[in-house]
Amino acid sequence: MNYSNLTWRHFDNPACAGVLAGAAVRRGAAGSRAQGTWVQFDVRIASRNQVSTVEAVRFRAYACPHIIAVADWVAQTAVGGPAEPIMPESVHALRERFEVPIEKLGRLLIVEDAWIAALSPPYG
Amino acid sequence: MTGARKGVYLDYAATTPVDPRVAARMAECLTQQGAFGNPGSTSHDYGEAAGALVEAARVQVAAAVGAAPADIVWTSGATEANNLALFGVANYQRESGRHIVTARTEHKAVLDPCRELERRGWQVTYLTPGRGGVLDPAEVAAALQPDTVLVSIMHVNNEIGVIQDIAAIAAVCAAQGTVRLHVDGAQSVGKYPLDFVRLGLDLLSLSAHKAYGPKGVGALVVSRARGVQLQALQFGGGQERNLRSGTVATHQVVGMGAAFELAAAEQAAETARIALLRERLWRGLGPLKGVLRNGDPELTAAQLLNVSFEDVEGESLLAAVRPFIAVSTGSACTSANQEPSYVLRALGRDERLAESSLRFSLGRFTTEAEVDAAIEAVCGAVTRLRRVAGSRLTRP
Repeated sequence: MNYSNLTWRHFDNPACAGVLAGAAVRRGAAGSRAQGTWVQFDVRIASRNQVSTVEAVRFRAYACPHIIAVADWVAQTAVGGPAEPIMPESVHALRERFEVPIEKLGRLLIVEDAWIAALSPPYG
Repeated sequence: MTGARKGVYLDYAATTPVDPRVAARMAECLTQQGAFGNPGSTSHDYGEAAGALVEAARVQVAAAVGAAPADIVWTSGATEANNLALFGVANYQRESGRHIVTARTEHKAVLDPCRELERRGWQVTYLTPGRGGVLDPAEVAAALQPDTVLVSIMHVNNEIGVIQDIAAIAAVCAAQGTVRLHVDGAQSVGKYPLDFVRLGLDLLSLSAHKAYGPKGVGALVVSRARGVQLQALQFGGGQERNLRSGTVATHQVVGMGAAFELAAAEQAAETARIALLRERLWRGLGPLKGVLRNGDPELTAAQLLNVSFEDVEGESLLAAVRPFIAVSTGSACTSANQEPSYVLRALGRDERLAESSLRFSLGRFTTEAEVDAAIEAVCGAVTRLRRVAGSRLTRP
């Protein structure tokens, strides 16, 4: 399997791997280890003037390099953005950005499902 | 894959580098000053010189496996040898029986011809070894039918290194009387003794490039003394007892002969050294939790260590170690498919464990420092990936 430089960079050094704690943290997960792909996001939300923004994100992933890299990128890129169940980029845009093979589209949808699960009301 | 680093080579079961001593012998056959003649051209000295080298190589290969030189049939490799053995026996004996016995853990070069024979109306029984990978000879005996014409079992498994009890299986076949025994010995030469005549084998497939010889050459040993008959698969020149037509590649078979002679001479010392390195590697992986050794360790060839890692995704594991070590997740021919090893699945490993397995195969040029580098790379990768996954195995 060949990976893009961007994939290697996030896979080799997933800066946002981990967990968050606290009342303002929302957690969502999707997939399963038994099926080969599992992703979890912890999202800390800051609320000011009735506007909620993403303050910090950490992720866990039992997954292939593409999915670890995408989850790390999503976790980094979402910070500062609106706390909404919409990823910073669509699944198809992420597939192009990371040069993910089409047969892994289902795994990318698991990333999206985990993000939606973390940020959809009722949270978590 | 980016970067120029290739990593420590620990994939000797996939292929080996040509030994410089072998390469020197091969080079002598290529140029105008060397034995470049067609070994089949007996009308001049150029051909006779090449022919003499081919026959010398035949003696070397035969000696390495305890066979008669006249039993050696040159092929392009073990895959062709396996095909010639299976289709050759099947086609020749199609009137006397159409049943073959083999094992689910055989190489694709045996399983795929068997499946093709099934499509052509043959019946094939696929035996399942025990969890350690070892086939019970009694199961071979139980699988034999009155119309069984061939049993095909590999000697050393290419993925887990388990050594089958070929002597016992040969005895089972001999007791039946008419069944032929074919052994895929591609992984055996230079690693574990194999004596064609003493074991009473009918057919034996060999490969040069697994034993520090060149790619593109192998042999099928066909026992004349036991009266083995095959139908050829290719025609045009009648070389190799009419079993494998085509100009014999002098430099290739000279390379195979030299490689096998070296392998036989150095086998004992080399195997002992590599066995120590293999155990050093296994011990080094010990601090990781959830590490499972595949294949019965008491019945495994020295050069192979196949390990499953719990709670690590397989593709990520291979990618994480790739800058540092060259290993595979299964046989080289299967790895390209990105499917979990069918050998490990046959041994009862679940799909996730089969995917998260690495085959380390050590060889002639492996050093202690390389093994230590591999330990560091694998331990680092497994620990990192388990942390990313939040694995229970990273907790104290």
